[in-house]
Amino acid sequence: MSLLFRCAVYALVLFLVAIVVVGQRHATATDTLRAAVPRTGRWLLLSAALVGAMFVLEALFIGW
Amino acid sequence: MVMRSNPDPSRGLGWGAFLAGFVPGLLQFQLGQRRRAALAFASCMALFFAGWTVVGERLFYWALITPDESGSPMLRLAARFGLPLSLPELLNLPANALGALLAWDGSPSGERLWRLPRAMEHLGGFLTAASGMLAAFWSAAAHWELRRRRDGGIDAPAPVADPALCAGLSWLVPGLGHVRAGQKDKGLLLGAAVLVVFGLGLLVSHGHAVDRATASVWWIGQNLCGGGSLFAALVTGPLRMETAPEHLALGTVLCTVAGLMNLVVMVDAYTVAERSVFPVKLSEATS
Repeated sequence: MSLLFRCAVYALVLFLVAIVVVGQRHATATDTLRAAVPRTGRWLLLSAALVGAMFVLEALFIGW
Repeated sequence: MVMRSNPDPSRGLGWGAFLAGFVPGLLQFQLGQRRRAALAFASCMALFFAGWTVVGERLFYWALITPDESGSPMLRLAARFGLPLSLPELLNLPANALGALLAWDGSPSGERLWRLPRAMEHLGGFLTAASGMLAAFWSAAAHWELRRRRDGGIDAPAPVADPALCAGLSWLVPGLGHVRAGQKDKGLLLGAAVLVVFGLGLLVSHGHAVDRATASVWWIGQNLCGGGSLFAALVTGPLRMETAPEHLALGTVLCTVAGLMNLVVMVDAYTVAERSVFPVKLSEATS
């Protein structure tokens, strides 16, 4: 499976999870969708930061 | 049962009510709902033993803790009473205990039977699990009634829909509980989100991601999406796996994530119906 495909699946699933999570605070589908987009963006940034941190730790303790 | 009006709503119903919830119908009996109590007990028992006649002692093999020869004597003793964690069957404690008592055979040949696949075991395993989920929904219904009487008094208004029914409907068809509670478009959206993740998991694993026989721990989470696991039990579970699909692990994780997503949807459906009687105060919502 190509890396691009994996990232696409990850982003899609993250968005769908975000819909369910933010849905608890909204009463309509429109509001839920509107709130899920920035939440997904934030989670993607956090995921990228986590991957970056793991690369740094790998480089520090295992070597490049 | 003595009910007080308007105590602190954040206070729980106590350990007694929680533990009584493991016996289907007991809380309804305490509430004076005799017919509902009988119905709860009979429906949970019937569903469990409909599946148990197929799977029998195989439930021991699917438990989180297997009471085999390597286990402690205490664990083996507990196994006789159905206490090794078979989830969600444990939520229907009397049926699970009775099934364990009837099926228990501590001999080596008896233990070999745990590992022996059965015809129709996917459906049988779903039915015993469904009895545990049904027991949980009956318990939720009684907890709701207890809370309604405690916080709203005996003449408290009826909710827009029964919260436990909404949760149960969402278990079977993700999002249906919200539709029942009046949030139709949100229910469709949440249901679609859960089913897309579940379907994606089945797709990438060629249908083998949801199989209680080979991934019983993952299946506990997957079963929280009841409609999906029923589909898998009837359609994809019995499919023969010649070789493990390349993305079996990804599919297993996705279907489990979908089940956990549906748990959130179920709780939210319950809450939506609950708030039609006990709305959240603005100060609580913003804190």
